Amino acid sequence: MSDNRALQRVNILVNHILQSSPTSSSNLSLTREICLQYSPPELNESCVFDVKEMRKLLDGHDVVDRDWIYGLMTQSNLFNRKERGGKIFVSPDYNQTMEQQREITMKRIWYLLENGVFQGWLTESGPEAELRKLALLEVCGIYDHSVSIKVGVHFFLWGNAVKFFGTKRHHEKWLKSTEDYVVKGCFAMTELGHGSNVRGIETVTTYDPTTEEFVISTPCESAQKYWIGGAANHATHTIVFSQLHINGTNQGVHAFIAQIRDQDGNICPNIRIADCGHKIGLNGVDNGRIWFDNLRIPRENLLNAVADVSSDGKYVSAIKDPDQRFGAFMAPLTSGRVTIASSAIYSAKVGLATAIRYSLSRRAFSVTANGPEVLLLDYPSHQRRLLPLLAKTYAMSFAANELKMIYVKRTPETNKAIHVVSSGFKAVLTWHNMRTLQECREAVGGQGIKTENLVGQLKGEFDVQTTFEGDNNVLMQQVSKALFAEYVSCKKRNKPFKGLGLEHMNGSRPVLPTQLTSSTLRCSQFQTNVFCLRERDLLEQFTSEIAQLQGRGESREISFLQSHQLAEDLGKAFTEKAILQTILDAEAKLPAGSVKDVLGLVRSMYALISLEEDPSLLRYGYLSRENVGDVRREVSKLCGELRPHALALVTSFGIPDSFLSPIAFNWVEANAWSSV
Amino acid sequence: MAVEMASHSQVLVEEKSGVRILTLNRPKQLNALSFQMISRLLQLCLAYEEDPSVKLVILKGLGRAFCAGGDVAAVVRDIKQGNWRLGANYFSDEYILNYVMATYSKPQVSILNGIVMGGGAGVSVHGRFRIATENTVFAMPETALGLFPDIGASYFLSRLPGFFGEYVGLTGARLDGAEMLACGLATHFVPSKRLTALEADLCRVGSSDPTFASTILDAYTQKPRLKQQSAYRRLDVIDKCFSRRTVEEIISALEREATQEADGWISATILSLKKASPASLKISLRSIREGRLQGVGQCLIREYRMVCHVIKGEISKDFVEGCRAILVDKDKNPKWEPRRLEDMKDSMVEKYFTRVEEEGEWEDLKLPARKNLPAIAISKL
Repeated sequence: MSDNRALQRVNILVNHILQSSPTSSSNLSLTREICLQYSPPELNESCVFDVKEMRKLLDGHDVVDRDWIYGLMTQSNLFNRKERGGKIFVSPDYNQTMEQQREITMKRIWYLLENGVFQGWLTESGPEAELRKLALLEVCGIYDHSVSIKVGVHFFLWGNAVKFFGTKRHHEKWLKSTEDYVVKGCFAMTELGHGSNVRGIETVTTYDPTTEEFVISTPCESAQKYWIGGAANHATHTIVFSQLHINGTNQGVHAFIAQIRDQDGNICPNIRIADCGHKIGLNGVDNGRIWFDNLRIPRENLLNAVADVSSDGKYVSAIKDPDQRFGAFMAPLTSGRVTIASSAIYSAKVGLATAIRYSLSRRAFSVTANGPEVLLLDYPSHQRRLLPLLAKTYAMSFAANELKMIYVKRTPETNKAIHVVSSGFKAVLTWHNMRTLQECREAVGGQGIKTENLVGQLKGEFDVQTTFEGDNNVLMQQVSKALFAEYVSCKKRNKPFKGLGLEHMNGSRPVLPTQLTSSTLRCSQFQTNVFCLRERDLLEQFTSEIAQLQGRGESREISFLQSHQLAEDLGKAFTEKAILQTILDAEAKLPAGSVKDVLGLVRSMYALISLEEDPSLLRYGYLSRENVGDVRREVSKLCGELRPHALALVTSFGIPDSFLSPIAFNWVEANAWSSV
Repeated sequence: MAVEMASHSQVLVEEKSGVRILTLNRPKQLNALSFQMISRLLQLCLAYEEDPSVKLVILKGLGRAFCAGGDVAAVVRDIKQGNWRLGANYFSDEYILNYVMATYSKPQVSILNGIVMGGGAGVSVHGRFRIATENTVFAMPETALGLFPDIGASYFLSRLPGFFGEYVGLTGARLDGAEMLACGLATHFVPSKRLTALEADLCRVGSSDPTFASTILDAYTQKPRLKQQSAYRRLDVIDKCFSRRTVEEIISALEREATQEADGWISATILSLKKASPASLKISLRSIREGRLQGVGQCLIREYRMVCHVIKGEISKDFVEGCRAILVDKDKNPKWEPRRLEDMKDSMVEKYFTRVEEEGEWEDLKLPARKNLPAIAISKL
């Protein structure tokens, strides 16, 4: 900006000396008329519903606090403010080196800390405080995934581990100092040889009663801690996940606190740390590897909410069954999947808002001789590429909100449901984001290649979401396994289904009409029926296939592996139905009016595109070939009906202009010679 | 020289080739904007935009004020007579004028040689060029009156560096010409003795391309020294405190600063916040925060909703009380209701931002369709 001003000033001086009139001769206006002109989509698009109401619905909670932190970021020079086409944008400079990105990310976090963003994040409890925290974290992620991951590791992994695995002595010592970043925490669970399979980790901890210390060691290279966010540069402390060997007995995985750096940032004795190196994205996060060389830590550093070791070296735990112990241990970590699922949807929103705004201002090819070029979004094919993804993003927004709600209101009884729902949602929502970003990247053409325009870059930044906190494929298998267990247990005890949204299985199997008219297809009852039928049938098929395999003498585990195709279809059917339910519930709560009407269209699009994309409907014969053709035609019709609302629908995402990218606005001006 | 000198006219018009000089002419009332003045300005602005012979518009004030604000005394009279809707009409016209100026296709030069407050900022800051002088006194004093910085202030205050806008909008702090230039509220600083020559030079502009006016203005502008005790030199403290989430947190951040070192400026800042209407402070902060993420049009639409709630007085009657204490009785001792910040609940704040529920035909502010809408005018939400 200052360069620009200097240049203007030079021009003025030159003109002054030469006594000529300032720039912009009359020719210029002539060429302007011939040239393409940017026309803001707002001028031509109408808005039939209250965008603010829709935004409140989508964000679900803490809208004022979201706006506050958006403002905090736009007002600081730390967030790489830049002007393009007369507008201010904030987004990281991804052309910085990895080291620079790490340092600036840390500085941004300091800034947010100083402004009180993290106040109460560990010292306050209750649903309201938790939701506020989630909202603020989401906005961090809209600015830059690295910021939200680095904050997330510190508060949600390190901080929550102390809070939930630890007891009073840990809380007093660590929570406040974590909230104030006096200690910087990381979370050493994953190893080179073990990721999703946490129970297989190889780090070993023994107890030395003579000094009342635990001794942590990395027995082999595959036991090195890997991808530990914060470990490479900044973290002073870590949670260590390790097998606990007491008197020769392995008591399973336990969590310990270890200091890895002193306050000056020097690595502590008996610790070795190496960098994970440059990554395909998320380079603002300093992922590192850790080896423990018989590191000694005080006995009190065992996080002992579930189990403890007495000073003379006796193992004590209220939960005798090691499986249950492990489950109790891992339950609080669900927060990771909750935040990942909702942040994936916000990333998809950035991509869609950008691509749709661009497609409402960019034209290509005329369809008549000498006629004007056609707006991208007026091509039915372009509508078909973007609008179904928009509808899915809406539905999944409600799904993410519902997941947050059940998470913040969790009780021991809801743990299982949260595990299953969060697994399914995390996988489906992060996959959806990756697919959406790729489509948006292609939909904005070459502009999507420019890092500054974000959509392309975000693919690299968010790709890891499909892997961390549980590989998506593994998570989907867990969904099917959980449904199987639920089915078997209900049948065995001859009890009705309750929970996990399976209550519909207590009723009779829905019958679908042979002929599908437009109004049938858009009817919420019909849509619910198809989704229920699919889930029910797949669950029945899955359980009977497992039973058959077991009948032939296969073990339960082998049977699951053999049935992976049905498991995959079932996991998807369950998750898609759960998502549909959340948007139906949101719609039902609304008073009659334009917001409800438009949301109804969006919901129908979500339901029908999910049916169109799923080959299992034909494969298992839930719909006929003719039915599937009707669904496809209806999707196309819905594209046309959603087209007029496209701008208002992405505006309702509530993402401020400055957090989108230059191609979402005046991309001609942003690329003008005067801005070079 | 064709000068319209009719003494009854509250807006004087001079035509000098391609330039129109508009002079606010209500010096006894410090050029406070009457309903008449607003209608006249709007009518003139729209006509000049259509008239190809007009290249530039100059706006200035007669006497020691550029413009001390809106004519709130008249609005309060209407409210007291049970006619809040008349007041709503006043604000509606005023905001439409602000919007037209913010999206004006020809350069507007406002000469701020004196007091610029509230509504006065609304008819100048949105324009292309704002000339401050050594006589300029700028303030947004609304929170002390039980109102909030309206006239599109949530748009321009929120875009000042850091959190200076929150400071100016919440405390009503006075800025001089040098400070206005430093923070960007003014684009140029010209000593008042050179204004006559500047005006004459500007009258030679023959094109509506702003670079012509800009060249002339650049030749007159000076870089004034920011006074030693200027608030703008305290931007670090302002950013640290006024960035906080709530008004309560802003005040406690300031109090923490004050305990670290005795400082007259911080105490004065705290005092002005404590004297202001709690309701006003809370809705003002939220308005600026929302405005930061919105275009000028959306800001004005939101402010219109807010101002209608203010004058309707169902949530708080602080506006009438503030005007009584400051403008009418001048006892400077308003009895705010709610009295304390903590009594002004989030749910009450929220109401100011919703549509006005009214039997009858209350409608959101309808902005006129504008050609050549600049990027700044279009923002989402």
